[in-house]
Formats: sequence, C-alpha cells, structure tokens
Amino acid sequence: MKAALIRYSPLAILAIAWQLIAQFELVSSTALPPLTQVATAWLDLLTSGELLTNAGLSLYRGGVGLLLSIVIGAPLGIAMAWWKPVDIALSPLVEAFYPMPKSALIPVTVIWLGFGDGSKILLVFLGCMLPVTIGAFNGARSSEQVLVWSARSMGASRLRMLWDVVLPSAMPDILNGIRTALALAFILMVTSELIVARGGLGNLIGYLGANGSYDAMYGAVLTVAFLGFAADRLYQMFMQRMLAWRQVGDA
Amino acid sequence: MPVTEHHQIVVEGVGHRYRPPTGREVLALENVSLAVRDREFLALLGPSGCGKSTLLYMIGGFLPLVTGRILIDGKPVNGPGPDRGVVFQNFALFPWKTVKTNVLYGLERTQLPKAEREARAQTFIDMVGLGGFEDSYPSQLSGGMKQRAAIARTLAFDPKILLMDEPFGALDAQTRGLMQAELLNIWRRTPKTVIFVTHDVQEAVFLAERVAVMSARPGRIKAVVDTAFDKTDPHVLKSKPFVDKVDELWGLVRDEAIKAQVSRAT
Amino acid sequence: MSSAALHTTPSIGRRALQACGWAAVHLSSIIALLVAWEVFARSGAVTMFMLPPFSAVAERIWADAVNGTLWINIGLTLYRTFVGFVLACIIGIGLGIAMARTALARWFFDPIISVGFPMPKVAFLPVIILWFGVFDLSKITMVTVEAVFPIVTATVLGLQGVSHELIWSARNMGAKDRELLWQVMLPAAFPQIMTGIQVALPIALIVAVFTEMAMGGFGVGGDMMHASRFADSRGVFAGIVEIAVVGYCVVKGLAILRRRLLLWHQEAVAPSTV
Repeated sequence: MKAALIRYSPLAILAIAWQLIAQFELVSSTALPPLTQVATAWLDLLTSGELLTNAGLSLYRGGVGLLLSIVIGAPLGIAMAWWKPVDIALSPLVEAFYPMPKSALIPVTVIWLGFGDGSKILLVFLGCMLPVTIGAFNGARSSEQVLVWSARSMGASRLRMLWDVVLPSAMPDILNGIRTALALAFILMVTSELIVARGGLGNLIGYLGANGSYDAMYGAVLTVAFLGFAADRLYQMFMQRMLAWRQVGDA
Repeated sequence: MPVTEHHQIVVEGVGHRYRPPTGREVLALENVSLAVRDREFLALLGPSGCGKSTLLYMIGGFLPLVTGRILIDGKPVNGPGPDRGVVFQNFALFPWKTVKTNVLYGLERTQLPKAEREARAQTFIDMVGLGGFEDSYPSQLSGGMKQRAAIARTLAFDPKILLMDEPFGALDAQTRGLMQAELLNIWRRTPKTVIFVTHDVQEAVFLAERVAVMSARPGRIKAVVDTAFDKTDPHVLKSKPFVDKVDELWGLVRDEAIKAQVSRAT
Repeated sequence: MSSAALHTTPSIGRRALQACGWAAVHLSSIIALLVAWEVFARSGAVTMFMLPPFSAVAERIWADAVNGTLWINIGLTLYRTFVGFVLACIIGIGLGIAMARTALARWFFDPIISVGFPMPKVAFLPVIILWFGVFDLSKITMVTVEAVFPIVTATVLGLQGVSHELIWSARNMGAKDRELLWQVMLPAAFPQIMTGIQVALPIALIVAVFTEMAMGGFGVGGDMMHASRFADSRGVFAGIVEIAVVGYCVVKGLAILRRRLLLWHQEAVAPSTV
C-alpha cells in the first residue's frame, strides 16, 4: 500500500501544482481553471446525468465495436495461421492496412452510416480488427510445435487440436492483441466523437469547449482519460487471471 | 622466466555481501586471503556460485569492499583501471564496432600518437590470429574468434594484470582446448600476472602455476595447490603428474561442488 | 586455426533479385485487391456513392496531383508529422536518459508515463487548442505528446538493459561517466530505441491526420473531412488511398533505415512491422 502511495505521489504533486498555478493566476484562469472549480463542474455534470448518458453511449459504441472485432478477428487470425490458403489470401491485406492510420476511416464511415452509433461501431470494429487478427495469427503460429505433435500422436483430429492445443497456447498473444485493440477502441471512439457525432463523451467535450464551459470541459477530458486508463488496468488484471496457469510453472 | 618474490596482489580478510532483489542478504565471500606474485599465473577454482567471480571483480575494482583490504603493489584498490585488464566470459565486445575499433577503444586513453595506436592494435590482432578480420563486426565472428578479439583488446592497453572470468566458458569443448593452448603461448610471449577464474579442474591444472581452491558459498580459500610443471610436452594431459594433480584437486573440489548443488536446490 | 567468418554477404545482384521477388509477391496481392475493389464497385451490389470504383478514385488522385493540391496536402501532413515526431524524439530520448540515470527523474516521471500510456491522449486536444490556439502549434503539440510515450519507454528499457559486462569493460579501459553514456550505453541501447522510434512515427502520422480532421484546413485529414461534409465520396476514398500509401512508405522507409544503421546487430531482421 505504502509503495503504491510513493509510486503515484508525483501525480498528487502535479495536481497540487495545478491548483496553485491556477489559484494564483500564473496562467490565465480560462486556460487553466483551478482544480477545485473543475471538480465542482464535474460533479454538476455527474448529477445532471449528462456525464453518465454520454459515457454510456460512448462505452456502448466502443464496446460493441471491440466485441465484434474480437469475435471476428480472432478466429480469422487463427484461420490464417492454420490454413495456408487463407493466409495467402489475407496476409497482404493485413500488411497493407497495418501502417494505415485508422482514423483515416472516420470520413468513410460517416459517408456510409451517417453521424450516429452505426458509424462509430463500424469504425471501432474495422480499426480493432487488425491488432486482434495479428495477435491471434502470431499466437497460433508460434504454438509450440512439440505440443501440436504430441496431440497429433494421441490421435487428435486437426479441429480438436485447434481447440485443445493451439487456442490455449495462442492465448497470451491474443490477449495482448486485444489489449492493444482496447486502447485503440478508446482512441477511435474519442477521435470520431470529437469530429463528428451525436452524443457521446467526445461530443460532450467538443460541445462544452465550444460553449466556453472550460472547467466542465476539463472534467469531461479527465473522465475520458481516466476511463481509458482504468479499462487498461482492469483488462490487465483480467489477463493475469486468464494466464495464471503460465506463472505457476516458473519456480 | 624469473618470478619475483614481491607479492603484487595482496588480498587480506576480504568479505562481501549483497542483497538480491528478492530475499535476504547473501554473504558471498568470507575472510578470503590470497597473495599473488608478479607475473604469476594463478587459477581460482571452485563450484558455481562460490564467489570466485565476485573476488575477481573486487580485485578489478568493480565491486566495493565490505571488509578487509586488497592491495595492488602496496596501494589499495580504488575502482577499475587500465592496470588490471578484464576478459569476460561473454566477450563484452562492443557490437557496433569492428574488431579493430574495439581494440583501438582501449588505446584511446593512452598518450600515444594515432599512427602508433593503429600499429599497436594491428600487432595484437595479428598476435591472437585474427589478422584479416580487423574490419569484421563481432556478429560476424565465431565464439572463439570473439574471445580472441576480446583478449587482443585487453592486451593492447598493456595492463600489468590480467583478470579472466571463465573466458572460455561460452565456447564449445574443441575451441576451448585450442584457446587454452593459445593463451599459454601468448602468456609466455608477453608475461603478465594472470588470475584465471574457472570451474573446470583440468583447465586450471593445465593453465596455471598455482591453483587456489575456493569453498562453496560463503567463499573462502580452501587450499592453494602448486601446479607448475613442464607443460610444453604435447602429451602432458595424459602424463601421470598431470592426472594425479587433477585427481588431487578434484578431491578438494568435489565436496564443495556437492554443497553448492544442495544450497541451490533449497 | 582455420575458423572462417560466419557470414558471407550474397552478391548485390542476387539480393536485388530477391527483393524484386518479394515485391512481386506483395504487389500481386495488392493488385488482386484493387481488381476486386473495381469489380465489386461496378457490380451494382452497392451504389457508386458508397463505394466509388478504384478507377474513379485513381482519376481523382491524378487530378489532384496535376493541379498541385495533392502535394500541398501531403506535404502539410508530413510536415506536422515530422516536426512533432522529431520533437518527440529529442524530448523522449532526453527524458529516457534522465530516467535511466537518476532515481529522482525515474520516481517523478514513471507514474506519469505508466498512467498516461493507456490513456486516449487525443482527448486532450481541446485542452491543447485552448492553450495554443487553432493553428499548427496545437497540431504539432498533440503529435509530440502522443509520440513521446513509446520513445521514452523504449529508451529507458534499452538503457537499463545494457549488459553490465559492457559497462565494466568500458570502465576497465578508463571511460568516465559522460563517455560511458555516449560511447557505450546509448549505442548499446540503440536497437531498442530504434524500435521505439519505429512505433512512434506511425503514431505521429495517425495523430497528425486526426488533428487535421478535428481542426480543418489544409492537409490530408482536413481535405477528407471537407470531402465528407460535401458528400464527395471519391474525395474521401482518395484520401484513404493517399494516407495508406504515405503510411506504408513511412514504415518501409524506417525499416530500411533500421537495417542500414544496425548492420552490426545480431538480430539483423527488423521487428515485424510490414
């Protein structure tokens, strides 16, 4: 506990510095409202329900997109590793889209599905497919040759082997791919909502900014940032739980 | 070749402890005392983990003294320096430099003019048998060649003392044998004091004039055995005096090796 | 002793041929993809608006190239990308060195970096605009903020991972602290730092495009948003193709640079990013 306090205390120092700088107007108070003011504005957003509705909307869009990308991307990646023809057909696609900035897809999704939920979900889905597929592909490809052979020698069919051997040993890479996709989902969600949206946290930020309610805007920005951070930490805990059997082996 | 009676390196009552990232403090060395003569070839022999490398690095000035003292030519050790050249098990060559620029690095701090430095580097590169490979990168060389480059680099800045930490440990058995013979040749041509750390009994007997046997952790000097006899005979490895010596030392080391095994498992 | 050097580098001609072979394989799949696009677009399954045929998009790109807007847009985007990226390198490596050497710097910045890494830092764009206005400075600042993270992390890891034998060896030969840092530790850490740089540049590009979309004006991102608002689907797809090509070139360029700079490195194969 104490170690955690020491570790994160620089953040507390920064918060205090923020408050002091703002309080003594070392910077214009519009550009940097005092932390206390931001906190009150944030509470207002919370109690008025605005924060929760928009957060819910954003999380819903990002979540559905991410889920779809996992459900379709992971099997796709494994299929690419397991069946050569699938690999030949799809890997140049993967390679071509890998370096492309996914935010470039924002205008396209808008043209296709307009300003609402659909375009956001599609964007997150398309963007997150890549890290999930690549993770699954790498994981399935490197599943220990020895394990596969021993399963084979015990008479397992190809399909069975996929389920019993390849999938578990590909898990770490798949889970890591999903972790990247999670961060990407947040980014795409925020960016697309900042630019074009109806509702959602990104939209809220933009609206508050345009309105001049900067203290509330700070509150919303920090909320999004914190959500992204919390999601990653929670996911890490989940990952450790899932991969616990790996740790036991290391004496 | 005359060996003076002056003790160049004096280790007296030296102890060392350290705290690993997890767990309790470990006493690595306890009351170690040793005296090494000028231009003597001494082997430090002991099981894994007995602290022989630790002792070597303390003489080298890389690890701080906790108790006792270490004197080089009467003066206490105060950090690393070019008077004690170190050869590491994993070669420690700078991978981004060629063999030649690696060797030159050690010469940079000498006051020699550039042309002389280059000539000197080349001499040593040739001496270790790497002539023609000066412009190769370490990643292009085999293990034995890398170690030769490392030795050339250390010899080039002419240290009085050579500290060698299991330098042939990372090589395959055949290369190792060849390198041992090479090292003896080089040592006979440019005599220096050598402290050679190893866990291989045969290697110690073959190379050294004296072998200091260390106990398992905490390391102490268990015995010092004389191993100077004529090694120019190509069949020396099978000769009776040699084999007897190896037996004698193996007897001393065996119990320590077992103790080391047990303490590692607990 | 007859142990020869391990690798013999193949002749230049042979290598060129191999490179062409690889290019041909990749190219053929891309060509297949483009053909599929064209066929599907013209098949009537979707409207020409939803999916303009590749030929129409190519025509638009060509027109833009001829009248110059293509170069202006790409130039601006790349300008913002690279300025932000270079700043991120300077700050990132500098910070990484400080963190690797002094415990104080490490203590102070470690939580900032580990908390900041998974955050969608782009959410701070409105704050940055509030501080720096609606022009390039904000865009570049946003790029720098995002690109700094992988570089700092890679630098710290790289420096901390330098084998102590290398350091001791240098000290043995008389190297002082400063020399140790510049002559030994940074070169030793360079492969890892380079990896961080290779991760940071595509991020810089993504963020530059995003800021342009959010803030409008010239640049590929701004152009695409403009096209999107005017229901100009060809323009939007043209932008996608342009960015895909630019992104690919950037990543490939870095991979080639890495191979050049790290000829000596054992892991002579670049980390698998395209």
